Amino acid sequence: MRLSLEPIWPFNRPPRNPGALAVALSLTLTAFPAFSADVSPIERTPSAQTGKALYEQACAFCHGIGGQGDGPDAFYLGPYSAPRPRDLTSGEYKFRSTPSGSLPTDDDLLRTLTVGIPGYMPSFQSLSDMDRRHLVAYLKTLSPAFQEGKAQSLPLPPGPIPATPESIQQGRALYVALDCMTCHSEQVNSPEGLLTQGKLKDRRGLTLHPRDLTNLTSYKNGHSPSDIARTILTGLDGSPMASYLEALEPHPEQVWHLVNYILSLSSP
Amino acid sequence: MIHPPPFSPTFLVPFLFLSTLIGGTTFFWTSQAQAIPAFSRKYQVTCTVCHTRVPRLNRTGERFLENGYQLPGTEDGGSTSKRKLGDVTLDEVTHYLGVRLRGTPLRTFHSDTHHAGNSKNQTEFTFPEIFSLFAAGTATNNVGFFVELESNMEESATAVERGFVTFNNLGKHDLAHLRVGRFDPSAFSSYATLRQHFEVIPEDTVDNGSFLPPTINRISLTPAAFSAKFSGLYDRRGNAILPTATSLFHAASEIGIDLHGRPFGNWFFYQVGVLNGANEPFGDSNKAKDWYVHTRIDLAQSNYFSANISGFGYFGRHNAKVQNMTDVNWNRYGLSANFRYHMIDLYGAFAIDRITNLPDALKASFDRTATGLTVEANVLATDRFLIGLRYDHLDAGGDRTLRTSHSLIALMAKFYWRSNIAFFLRDDVNLRDAQGGRNPERNFRNAFVIGADLAF
Repeated sequence: MRLSLEPIWPFNRPPRNPGALAVALSLTLTAFPAFSADVSPIERTPSAQTGKALYEQACAFCHGIGGQGDGPDAFYLGPYSAPRPRDLTSGEYKFRSTPSGSLPTDDDLLRTLTVGIPGYMPSFQSLSDMDRRHLVAYLKTLSPAFQEGKAQSLPLPPGPIPATPESIQQGRALYVALDCMTCHSEQVNSPEGLLTQGKLKDRRGLTLHPRDLTNLTSYKNGHSPSDIARTILTGLDGSPMASYLEALEPHPEQVWHLVNYILSLSSP
Repeated sequence: MIHPPPFSPTFLVPFLFLSTLIGGTTFFWTSQAQAIPAFSRKYQVTCTVCHTRVPRLNRTGERFLENGYQLPGTEDGGSTSKRKLGDVTLDEVTHYLGVRLRGTPLRTFHSDTHHAGNSKNQTEFTFPEIFSLFAAGTATNNVGFFVELESNMEESATAVERGFVTFNNLGKHDLAHLRVGRFDPSAFSSYATLRQHFEVIPEDTVDNGSFLPPTINRISLTPAAFSAKFSGLYDRRGNAILPTATSLFHAASEIGIDLHGRPFGNWFFYQVGVLNGANEPFGDSNKAKDWYVHTRIDLAQSNYFSANISGFGYFGRHNAKVQNMTDVNWNRYGLSANFRYHMIDLYGAFAIDRITNLPDALKASFDRTATGLTVEANVLATDRFLIGLRYDHLDAGGDRTLRTSHSLIALMAKFYWRSNIAFFLRDDVNLRDAQGGRNPERNFRNAFVIGADLAF
């Protein structure tokens, strides 16, 4: 087989054995220890600088190079309706374990990076744990709010509790009392909650669709009992989903009844 | 002499009516789209994480492709979504298998076969005719694969359209990625041959034998920049290469090896490759190889704006023949660019094709240079409704008695029922006057098609 590279080949004659040249080139390249994304053992402290490099490779296409949620792919993710990628400079985060209006903890940010957001952001578990911590360190440099204070996680009431019929019934009563069905509907396929569709807006003014609670795996903030309880108590800042912490006072443990009812909506 | 108007009201009226109907419908239809195809299932995200709208890739999708089907910035081989079975780590079948069905069930062509005023209409009803089965993903860290088996009912052909293995992140992350097999060379260009909103509509020809020009009843609607551009070129077996066939750097698939990467960060991309380049579906009777080099500069990553520009050179060696069966070298050089801002996606390509090594006897009768320009704009008018406009200009080369240039404009309205299920209307109009005789490029007046594109 003759490899012809004329008229651009820069030498006077073609290589004598181009096949071997190609194999040698491949072997040379594959000899580099690059088939691993492991973090060097000397990296023990999260580095915002390393995080920045990772951010530019993995996150900037959606969140924008400056973190304002205006990356080149951001518009097409939610052209005329929510969600758009988070504006990381605003200091406002949906997925937190902290009270509404607070910053997220490092673990909150790490959790979102690790599990992703069903439907919209893939899990970056494919990055090493240390790489994700580098990213968290960089994300916190994007908003000045992180320099002003540190948030504390809101402790969840003791639970979860068994999903007995009584608990589910109490949860349903709470669901009605807290007016959850205005957005989420009460019955499977009921048009009741859909009345608000098209009327709910997010912080950017984009139309937002309430979560279909019968589709468990679509819950953006996770669908374990603790995830659901956390979402109810802390709310999703920047969206109409408010914190129900005050509404459940002085018995916040009732949240587990509500969790049991919500989980029952998607039971077979 | 009366020429039919280039924008025939026969086709534009229903086109505009149906476009308005579909557009209007989408304003009142706001339920959320559901994504299904394989990579969506694997990563549990909607199609628009990687596509502006299927099949066009956004930047994340482009980087996912470059990185051998691994998320940008990662090298885990997608293993986090795989299942452990003893000592073996496997992807679930639904995470790497996908199917696509597409076609144009209704086509109406209007041509002036003899001369102005002597027109012919042809309407065809067909079933969706192209079925593709995909298997794609990662075998392990930094080793990806892609196989596309396509059955084209219209051409009565089933073949492996593309099939390649990738070895990624050689040396260091994004320094070098290797593709080996049958692949589309222009995959990473600002304007890639595949993934077009305007599907190629095939030609209608009658073969007249080896090294004889075919009778073209109807031209193929291919982007002019990607097309062969020459009349009177043949492959090494004597089959005519139609002037509208995608070819060289813009071939839908070619067998070879390809190295690409981003050694200096996001802004600079390089690609070099070597291909059989025989313009043959199978075999390699051309023992010489073609090679190409492609670079791309990416700019801007904020304000919902991005831009990139690509330049390439493709150098063929004995990769075509002319009518006296002599080998010629067929090269292509060009630029392509893409600007994206909010709902507007503007892209285009310009290519110059040049034949060298032409026998002296043919130099007077064969134009050795041809150019093609394609510019396309897509506007996402609503979450589900996309409007497309494409302009093509072919300055044809080759046999001076056969070659004909043309300028086409195409308008398309595409409705995404789901993010992976689309229906479209399209109207292509020839802007040049008909000339009569055997002149298919100029006698083609208008094509109106209704089509569907479904991927699962």
